Amino acid sequence: MMLHLLNRSPRSTATYQDLSEAFGADDHLLLIEDACYAAQPSAGAALEPFGGRVSVLQEDLVARGLAERVDPSVEIVDMNGFLALTETHERCVSWF
Amino acid sequence: MLNYALLLHAAPYSHQAALSALRFADTVVANGHRMKTVFFYHDGVHNASALMAPPQDEVHLADGWKRLHREHGTELLVCVAAGLRRGLLDVGEASRHGAMSHSLEAPFELTGVGQLVDAMLTSDRMITFAP
Repeated sequence: MMLHLLNRSPRSTATYQDLSEAFGADDHLLLIEDACYAAQPSAGAALEPFGGRVSVLQEDLVARGLAERVDPSVEIVDMNGFLALTETHERCVSWF
Repeated sequence: MLNYALLLHAAPYSHQAALSALRFADTVVANGHRMKTVFFYHDGVHNASALMAPPQDEVHLADGWKRLHREHGTELLVCVAAGLRRGLLDVGEASRHGAMSHSLEAPFELTGVGQLVDAMLTSDRMITFAP
């Protein structure tokens, strides 16, 4: 059970591809920084491989004007929620 | 309570990563965990510059790291090999290399990557922030 931390916009297709291949059945993905753009409904299939186990960081959404444009399948968490994800997942890997 | 270590690869102000890491560190201590070590690697060593002078109405990243050390005892470890390449020298290294001045001071410490491995082994969580 691993937490994956992603900070690249969905235009970085190779990073998303590599991550999807490494993503385990019990893993969770947190979108931060420019990865917030992947949480929009218009981002299409970028998050499809992650089976709804995806969260996005609220502060980074707000900074990009995306707070009202999040796909309902993506959970919004604040910094405390980010920390809570690192508490419940023993290992955390960053993709960049 | 968990022991956290952060690995920061990103230069200050060039990318969001350094600010993300500082915000995360503040959240760690606000929630009762221990922010044990921050390791500055690659361009992340620039966060340790003693000469950093951002405009007063902007976040002062180096002061943020120093505040963590002062208030929570966080170790601020800077990779010596990455630092020397980029002009981050403490008094001793500046003297050894004949540099006209130094640019790194306590509480930042120049260390080797062995200290990074030690931080990985002795912390409960290691979180990487990169550009």
